[in-house]
Amino acid sequence: MNLKSTYFVLAALLVFAVGSAAAQDKMTKDQWQQEITKYTQMRDDLSAKAKALGTDVTSMQAQSSQLDADYQKCMDALYALVGSDATKAAAYRSDIEAAENKANELSRLSDADLVARSSEVNDLAANVKSLWENKLSLIPEFWDRLTALNEKVKSLQATLANQVKVYTVGTWAKDRDCLWNISKKKDIYDNAWLWPKIWQGNRDQIKDPDIIHHGQKLKIPKGNELNAEEKSAAKKYYAKKAAK
Amino acid sequence: MLKIHRTVTAGALAILFSGSLVLVGCSSSPDDAQMKQLNDLKDEVTSLQKDVAAKEDQKSTLEKEIADKNAKMKKCNDDQAIVKQRLAK
Repeated sequence: MNLKSTYFVLAALLVFAVGSAAAQDKMTKDQWQQEITKYTQMRDDLSAKAKALGTDVTSMQAQSSQLDADYQKCMDALYALVGSDATKAAAYRSDIEAAENKANELSRLSDADLVARSSEVNDLAANVKSLWENKLSLIPEFWDRLTALNEKVKSLQATLANQVKVYTVGTWAKDRDCLWNISKKKDIYDNAWLWPKIWQGNRDQIKDPDIIHHGQKLKIPKGNELNAEEKSAAKKYYAKKAAK
Repeated sequence: MLKIHRTVTAGALAILFSGSLVLVGCSSSPDDAQMKQLNDLKDEVTSLQKDVAAKEDQKSTLEKEIADKNAKMKKCNDDQAIVKQRLAK
């Protein structure tokens, strides 16, 4: 074969190669048909699945709504057991929440500040007592919250009880304040013979129990009888007095 | 002359052969309308897949919701029993 023939054949082969490459980029009819069949099946399956799911969702939405209605009836019946209703229960719930907030507020105070606001602790205790008197308190939701409130109030009252009382000495002229008379006061010991407790509890301020000064802030130790130290100090004092 | 003739003949035959191959290949592809049909079908499948996924999510959420509500119902019934006991004391 000569050169010209070779060129012709090469050109023909080139046309063939380009043509077949172009032909391969395009989908064949057979391939298209396969795709159509495949995607048609997928569509049909998905349509059926979507329909079934739609039915399930509708049914479950109805079930959920029915549960809401049933729950409402149950709660109404619960309140009716204690002679109440949802509106009163909501108001009662708010009252408990207010008491809880007050208890939390008082719990955050320092001991000194709590003593200054001791009347609020007493008011809270009274409030909780009246909340218990409402029959709604029998319902577990409220019963549990009131039980927790009780504990907080007790804790606050215990804190107050543990605080050392402080008495500010008045004048002899006006108040007749001496350790004996202070001890006799109803809100101190209501017993004059306990005066050594005040003396021993304030040795840093009182050198001589017969001498106290106007404005002195005396700690009032707890107790309703003299301990051994206080008795001993009192004995020495009386002995000294007797010796004079 | 004969040489030229042979060359031309060979070239023409080659071109004719490869050209026919190309033409056969072109005429066995789907047309534009058919391709559109296939693409529309694919889009429909994609849309349905999203729809199914959304409904499955919705169903899952509802299952949880119903379970929670059933638990609340049980508690309400239990509370009624407790209150009756307390009232009886």
